[in-house]
Amino acid sequence: MAEEQSKIPESGLLKELRERAKELACLYRIEELLSETKKDTSEVFQDVVQAIPQGWQYPEICHAGIFYEDSVFSTPHLKESVAQHQAEIMVQDIVVGRVVVGYTQDMPEAEKGPFLREEVKLITTIADRIGHFLLHKKLRQVFDSSEPDQGVRTREWEVAVDMLKKTEPQLYTRISRRMLNHLCWIGVPEAKELLQRFVDVRREDVTGEVNKPAQKENKGDYRRPIEEIFELSSHKLSEREILALVQKWIHEDKASSLIGPMLNLHSSWKDLNDAMRRFRHHRSDGVELSRSTANGVKVALIKRFFSDDPSFVHVAKKYVELDDFFDVMERVVHPTEAYGRLGGKGAGIFLASMILRQSKDRFPEMGEIKIPKTWYVTSDGLIDFLNHNNLEEAYERRYQNVGKIRQDYPHLVQVFKNSSFSQDMARGLSVALDDFGEAPIIVRSSSLLEDRLGSAFSGKYKSLFLANQGDKKDRLDALLDAVAEVYASTFSPDPIEYRSKKGLLDFDEEMGILIQEVVGKRVGEYFFPAFAGVALTHNEFRWSPRIEREDGLLRLVPGLGTRAVDRTEDYPVLVAPGKPNLRANVTVDEVVRYSPAKIDVINLKKNTFETLDIDEFIKNVGSDYPAISKIVSIVQDGMIRHPMGLTADYSLDQTVVTFEGMTRQGDFVNQVKAILKALLESLGTPVDIEFAHDGEFFNLLQCRPQSHSQDQVPVVIPRNVPERDILFTARKYVSNGKVPNITHIVYVDAEGYSRLSERTELLAVGQAVGRLNRQLPKKQFILIGPGRWGSRGDIKLGVKVTYADINNCAMLIEVARKKGNYLPDLSFGTHFFQDLVEASIRYLPLYPDDEDVTFNEAFFKESPNILGEIFPEYSHMGDTLRVIDVQNVTEGKVARVLMNANENEALGLLADPSTGIDTALEMKESIWGGNKDHWRWRLRMAERIAAQVLPGQYGVKAIYLIGSTKNATAGPGSDIDLLIHDEGKEDKRDVFIRWLDGWSACLAEMNYLRCGYRTENLLDVHFIDDQDIAKRSSFAVKIDAVTDAARKLPMKGQ
Amino acid sequence: MITESFNPFIVAQKQFDRIADMLDLDPAVRDILRQPMREIHVAVPVHMDDGKVRVFRGFRVQHNDARGPYKGGVRFHPHETIDLVRAMSMWMTWKCTVVDIPLGGSMGGVICDPHNMSLGEQERLCRGWVRQLRPNLGPLRDVPSPDVMTNAQHMLWMLDEYEALTGEKVPGFITGKPVGMAGSLGRTEATGYGLIYALREALKEEKIRISDTNASVQGFGSVARYAIELYTRLGGKVIAVSCWDQSDKKPYTYRKSSGVDYEELKGITDRYGGIDKIKAQELDYEVLSGDAWLEQSVDVLVPAALENQINKETLSRVRSSVKVVAEGANGPTAPDADKVLEERGVLVLPDFLVNAGGAICSYFEQVQSNMNYFWAKDEVLGKLDWKMTAAFMGVSELAKKKKLSLRDAAYLISVSRVAIACRERGWV
Repeated sequence: MAEEQSKIPESGLLKELRERAKELACLYRIEELLSETKKDTSEVFQDVVQAIPQGWQYPEICHAGIFYEDSVFSTPHLKESVAQHQAEIMVQDIVVGRVVVGYTQDMPEAEKGPFLREEVKLITTIADRIGHFLLHKKLRQVFDSSEPDQGVRTREWEVAVDMLKKTEPQLYTRISRRMLNHLCWIGVPEAKELLQRFVDVRREDVTGEVNKPAQKENKGDYRRPIEEIFELSSHKLSEREILALVQKWIHEDKASSLIGPMLNLHSSWKDLNDAMRRFRHHRSDGVELSRSTANGVKVALIKRFFSDDPSFVHVAKKYVELDDFFDVMERVVHPTEAYGRLGGKGAGIFLASMILRQSKDRFPEMGEIKIPKTWYVTSDGLIDFLNHNNLEEAYERRYQNVGKIRQDYPHLVQVFKNSSFSQDMARGLSVALDDFGEAPIIVRSSSLLEDRLGSAFSGKYKSLFLANQGDKKDRLDALLDAVAEVYASTFSPDPIEYRSKKGLLDFDEEMGILIQEVVGKRVGEYFFPAFAGVALTHNEFRWSPRIEREDGLLRLVPGLGTRAVDRTEDYPVLVAPGKPNLRANVTVDEVVRYSPAKIDVINLKKNTFETLDIDEFIKNVGSDYPAISKIVSIVQDGMIRHPMGLTADYSLDQTVVTFEGMTRQGDFVNQVKAILKALLESLGTPVDIEFAHDGEFFNLLQCRPQSHSQDQVPVVIPRNVPERDILFTARKYVSNGKVPNITHIVYVDAEGYSRLSERTELLAVGQAVGRLNRQLPKKQFILIGPGRWGSRGDIKLGVKVTYADINNCAMLIEVARKKGNYLPDLSFGTHFFQDLVEASIRYLPLYPDDEDVTFNEAFFKESPNILGEIFPEYSHMGDTLRVIDVQNVTEGKVARVLMNANENEALGLLADPSTGIDTALEMKESIWGGNKDHWRWRLRMAERIAAQVLPGQYGVKAIYLIGSTKNATAGPGSDIDLLIHDEGKEDKRDVFIRWLDGWSACLAEMNYLRCGYRTENLLDVHFIDDQDIAKRSSFAVKIDAVTDAARKLPMKGQ
Repeated sequence: MITESFNPFIVAQKQFDRIADMLDLDPAVRDILRQPMREIHVAVPVHMDDGKVRVFRGFRVQHNDARGPYKGGVRFHPHETIDLVRAMSMWMTWKCTVVDIPLGGSMGGVICDPHNMSLGEQERLCRGWVRQLRPNLGPLRDVPSPDVMTNAQHMLWMLDEYEALTGEKVPGFITGKPVGMAGSLGRTEATGYGLIYALREALKEEKIRISDTNASVQGFGSVARYAIELYTRLGGKVIAVSCWDQSDKKPYTYRKSSGVDYEELKGITDRYGGIDKIKAQELDYEVLSGDAWLEQSVDVLVPAALENQINKETLSRVRSSVKVVAEGANGPTAPDADKVLEERGVLVLPDFLVNAGGAICSYFEQVQSNMNYFWAKDEVLGKLDWKMTAAFMGVSELAKKKKLSLRDAAYLISVSRVAIACRERGWV
């Protein structure tokens, strides 16, 4: 369509539109004249002929006449016309005259001689209108009764309906059907009867040649059902109602014909684009969709553009308007035949921006939020790229071992970067680049799998900054290179390994791309935002018991946000938006030590992304740095000073990035708080956002369900752990996560420690811990000790260690025992809090004296102590410092700590290392990804069932899995299809079936608990015997089939 | 069982008893010096940001003011114990006395964790503490200064509250203030310079020319830095410096046998005081393990970072070339190692004497504040040199005369001076 349209020269299109407008104007004028009931017929006709030529293509040479009875009313030169057309005027099916229109000069050929098709319709309509006018006059003379006003209105809707009947009979039928429905719904008894007849007529219509012949047949039958509908409606509804309804339906009907491709989830981007453009064009003419249709279109577009996950759609449709899609559509780059989506990041930012737009009234403190200009590349851009360059075998690489993939990856990147793009893609990206101009941009992956799995993928694919400076060709080359590199990252080892672990390797990765304008300001040769960061609705790292999880967390860095998103050696500034004044770092030393040391910027001159030393950078750019006084503080005379007046000389003073001015003054924190709250409420799930601030405005860059790195996922706390396996429980200040494989526990006994009488002995405990830290298996041991680890206060109250003495442990546990009435405060690891955060060392406080918790002191105090074996020189400390080899003590078990902040509960237990840990995340993540792995647990259960049966038991020879579970396509209502190869003996089968029935009922219950889908049974069992296999009959064909073969499940002992 | 466990106050009392025995003090004098003159416990209500009121426990322990107004730190710490504060107030008395500044020792604080408090709450706590203790504080009664988890900002809040209560400007009420707000110049250099002034005198007495010596330093914080700077300026050669590496999370020792260049090292230092390992290598420094500073063949060891560095285990690695250990840090030498060093003829310059430069400068700040006239930096440092030199000579003389370790001599001088003051005031 777009091509056709584009072939019509612009002037032609305009001309056509202008003609339409003229016709309408003409018709209205005539309508007006004909409603002048007080005038003579001849007077009215004289006026009408004057008005007619204005509706024709060449009004200056157009002439018109009405021949009625014996009179002729015409414009002067009608007789001289060289081309004419005419229409008959009928009153009660009798020809009473005609309307004639003619041109006085030869004009170019159109549809009917020089006349347009629309003009033919127009003249017919005019003749028709005149017929009505005459009929009305006649009736009035006869009855001389009806109120004049009523009469005028009657005609108005009749005109419309009549015009429809002549010009668009199908629409006319549809409208009349809707009128009939309407009458039925409002309870008009006659309508029901009519409905029956209407249906009959419609059936004839279908058999006949659609409408026209039928009309001929029934010519003269004035009381056709359709006409009766309007007749009936004129009795039951006011004229105004009818007109309004008819008008509305006509508009809706027109619109619905336009939205076909928009409703079709499988239409290509090109068709979609055309449809949306046409729709938009017509809508400017007043064509509107009914609410339900508009909603339908909206939902279809949400699914088509972003995701068909029901929970996503459910939220999105509340906040998104149809127009929003037009805006997005303007900035989509896609290959010719594109059917992909825009990916997880694209969906996240789009939805978030819509939610925030609508939440402004409720959260006025949100202020103005900007979304940087964004272009999208559809997810099948990747496939297009691979096909275009014959790189399909890249897909095969994912089955190679990771070592090989890692080895080859640099070459693959080079191959990708040296490949070209299809013309459509290159052109699309070029247009995008024109739109961005020379603004720096970032090219980010927007994977479809990202929405499946929450943000577990985050950081696994590339994001590339482009300075985007210089001439267009260079800039475009750089952009194409960047897109190719992001594509290449799909095949980098980390995501492949991750997908392989998650059983997603067989799903083709489709990668959308997001191109965003970088937020920032230019300072000298550098470009950067004043600051940027990440904000989370839930704070999983509380540095003070006064901070609640719901107080959220901000990680702020100066410059580009890369350093806040990724864990680097650097320290972002942490702020809890709910308690902005409680900072993680308090003393001058802490503030200086745990502050950002580097800044990421774009160097416009060198066209590169650079990491610079922040001190040097601030010394160089000084007060040109946007909003500098709100970002840094000055360290001077043993205090942190806020830059004010002339106190600050950035080129000389020792500055430290604190964001003190941002958090203590101004609205920034309140703004973030409002944004997080609005998103949390609307999405119903914890979220994290990325943002950048240019010193003036908050720019939202990304929004997604709160990321849980692997070890920060809430885990299910099992309820059935035998008491002897419980090490401790906790119900205070619990964060999310797990420490699954603890082989060693280093335990500092509170009593033993407090008995030490020499300071050197106390210090020696810290030293011994430091040496154990270097000796024990990394991240497989935990430290448990009294009071405050690493405290600089009274050494009695906590083992004196530095971060280097504990940096290899997996977890730090502080135990608070009551001393008389006094319960000491714990440190929450504050002395090296940020080191713990950045190194993912978990922290947990224990309060063994609380009533509702368990603390298995006997295990810690009585298990054999191997300290002396590791370091004989420390064996004298045995009463104080204990090292427990968990596997040795428990015959192969490991210790585990499971934490669930949602329940505020943690459990330390002994467990078999092979048993799995259920994360509580699958449910939580459904907002974006849905619980789509119905197949995975089904597969697991099928394997378990097979593993229970000995070969030969119940006569079973083999068990196979087929169907949706095997194909990883199972939904919530899917069965588990088992194919049982047995001896074919009925009696044994019956016993086995009974055994399976038990499983089946249990599995159905499990399925219900998991997804709320109720079924009686979940197993669908098919039996085959040797004969079936020999004949390859029934399901036996699945065994060893070339495609979709049944999967053999290992049985007991196999 | 309690008596068995480590209790800093009992340690301090034992230390005192030993000295008192040596001085043969009579029981009344012992009694008055063995414990603080006064302990004030206060409840400080603070309106928290969330609208609730929390009552914090605060205190001030004043050990002895026979020689002048009390002076001592204010600590904010959640696990503050009264015994630790008592011990520290006593040590403060000895420290001020050994360098012969006319002040007594005190210590105080609040049981709180600033990590759980906003700045506003901390300010209200500071002001509340001053309000409660107002009758016991003042430029001529007891002068607070910053300590654990308090800094210049807290001092200014306290000063402001005190002035509001008295209706007068009293800059001498508190020390640790920023320069320009009644702070003193030279405070940053004071401890490091003081250490070297004492070292200089010690070498002089040993008839060793400082320019013939070399040294190995642990630490590169403000004490170590200014010590290195002055020592080098005086002709000494520092050949090794150990320093914490923030990114590797462990210390390294940087060695250059031709002598480290202070300015050069400072130039490759980050703001945490960490030396850039790569750049150091480029500048021909050897990068050795963190504890290598201890085993260098040098004349002088300057432990200026952590406590308990020279102990039973590490002692064997201290080379026989070492003649002097200058204790820049607090308690870097464990008592048992102290004895062995003494036997080996190593001169250990005791921490509470040689790192008292900070305390002296703090006294100078008080003096300047009280007259509301502030000296040039040279004047401050000149006076510091004079005070430190005099103090060291006094201690050294006594040590020689009585054949004591410098540490014991220093304690003897302190206790004796305070005892005399008590006696002459007619207290005992």
